[in-house]
Amino acid sequence: MAACLLVHAQQVPDSETNAFSSEAQPSAIGPQHKEYVRATMFGLGFTSLQDTYLSPEIYKGWEFRFSRETLHQTKLMGGKIWQQTYFQGNFGYTDNRAENNKTATALANWNYGWYYRQPLTHNFTLLAGGAVDLNGGFTYNMRNGNNPASLRAYTSVDASAMALWNLQVKGRPLNLRYQASLPLLGLMFMPHYGQSYYEIFSLGERGGTVKPVTPFSNPSLRQMLSADYPIGKITLRLAYVWDIQQAKVNQIKSHTYSHIFMIGLVKRFQKL
Amino acid sequence: MKKNILFILSLFVLLTGCVREDEFDNSPRGNFEALWRIIDEHYCFLDYKQVNWNAVRAQYETYVTPGLSNDKLFQILGNMLAELKDGHVNLYAYHNTARYWNWFEDYPRNYSEELVENYLGHEYRIGGGLRYCILEDNIGYVSYTSFSAGIGNSVLSEMFRYLDICNGIIIDVRNNGGGELTNASRFAGRFTNDKVLVGYMCHKTGKGHSDFSTPEPIYVEPSDGVRWQKPVVVLANRHSYSATNDFVNSMRYMPKVTIMGDQTGGGSGMPFTSELPNGWGVRFSACPTYDAEMNQIEFGIEPDIAVALSAEDQAQGIDTIIEAARVYLNKKP
Repeated sequence: MAACLLVHAQQVPDSETNAFSSEAQPSAIGPQHKEYVRATMFGLGFTSLQDTYLSPEIYKGWEFRFSRETLHQTKLMGGKIWQQTYFQGNFGYTDNRAENNKTATALANWNYGWYYRQPLTHNFTLLAGGAVDLNGGFTYNMRNGNNPASLRAYTSVDASAMALWNLQVKGRPLNLRYQASLPLLGLMFMPHYGQSYYEIFSLGERGGTVKPVTPFSNPSLRQMLSADYPIGKITLRLAYVWDIQQAKVNQIKSHTYSHIFMIGLVKRFQKL
Repeated sequence: MKKNILFILSLFVLLTGCVREDEFDNSPRGNFEALWRIIDEHYCFLDYKQVNWNAVRAQYETYVTPGLSNDKLFQILGNMLAELKDGHVNLYAYHNTARYWNWFEDYPRNYSEELVENYLGHEYRIGGGLRYCILEDNIGYVSYTSFSAGIGNSVLSEMFRYLDICNGIIIDVRNNGGGELTNASRFAGRFTNDKVLVGYMCHKTGKGHSDFSTPEPIYVEPSDGVRWQKPVVVLANRHSYSATNDFVNSMRYMPKVTIMGDQTGGGSGMPFTSELPNGWGVRFSACPTYDAEMNQIEFGIEPDIAVALSAEDQAQGIDTIIEAARVYLNKKP
């Protein structure tokens, strides 16, 4: 499918078009072309987590993260509606305070969002909209017996916004971007306070383990600050991700705070 | 505008706040408080055992002073946990494991591995965690000493095919300290042709000592594999604990099954694990299970026929309890 789409792609140099441009439509190529920005990044950083189902202690350690994002213009409202697909996969390995036990955490996150693009000045643009946010993964405590892991499964509808700022550094474009996504309403799997996974999955007692969540029970926020800068024929992206995932459901508290520094490449192109 | 958005987002995070549980200091006092709270909020038998946990705190906190050595702190915390009289409660450190074992140490063992080996002989079969043979009087004998040792469906089917010629079988779970509940229910499912209610399980729904969910029924489903249709005697002793207690409980609701030997050790609370600031591990009963009449089985299950190992028999290499089971099965029609 991706290969079919790319048949129609036209690679264009950054100087001809810019996904973050505040210029009015149509684009430099033509009104029938949609602008795409695709970025692939890898990153490493610090993570801190607590899950009272597993332990009252806070675990700290490192996290590896991969992300792939596609942000593109649609034909809706004269090209003012943009669509974003954002996938992140992360793996964390953390120690307790005494450094005699570890947890391993993995989470896959997929966002599918729609944004209204509103240029505010000649080089500053806002995109505001919403996204469907799906998450699946686990936290595994290496020492626990009948409560060895917490399953992570939650979905939400997010409010999401981006601020895009185009600068020139030594005659070359520097695109800064800040994006934040905030879960508003969703569903989350969570065992009851003292319920075992044996009871849930072996005895089939799953009642009340999927709960609606709001910003008060799931006050999470994903933020990313990125800078795109062309070097030669490639565009480099450097990003800082501050990912706050929190929940208090069924009297179980959990949080994961991640600070990740990422690096990757950006590809800009246009398609029919 | 950008500043406004950032302000709104920041305000939101401030309003909803951080979700976190405060940690205790890694000091003798902090570790004492952390352990006391873990049990206070998560242990499932405080009400049933009528333990005044606040009084226990008052009693033991006087011993906790700054600069207390690790050994001394471990001893104090271990003694505090022993007030719960629960074999599923432990404190783990690299230098020691605190435990309460009076539930079997205070009673006759009623088991000798040496005697069991006299009955198994040298040609017995081993399937997963099961050792089995056919005794001279055509009674099958099965020894299972840990529910942590796997018993897959194929292993069970092969064993029952081998024992098919027997008039009855003895399942010896004496000295079996437990293991996986799935093995217990899989084994029990070989002794019924119908779905059988064997008990209930519930869990804590909050930090209060009486915060429990509605008990949910536990059924044993008949196995799709070979099912045993002849008489069965299950041998138990005070060291039949935890998942073995669960197995014995399930088996007493099966047709043609008789429990013989001594009372089981109990251990009906499924244990969870937690930890202290200094990294010591804590295990505690978290989810209580009951029998099919909603009776507690934390302190064990009495046998249908009580039999004790006699010293005279033991001196002659005879296991009184196995012999009683053989006599019982041979009299069965």
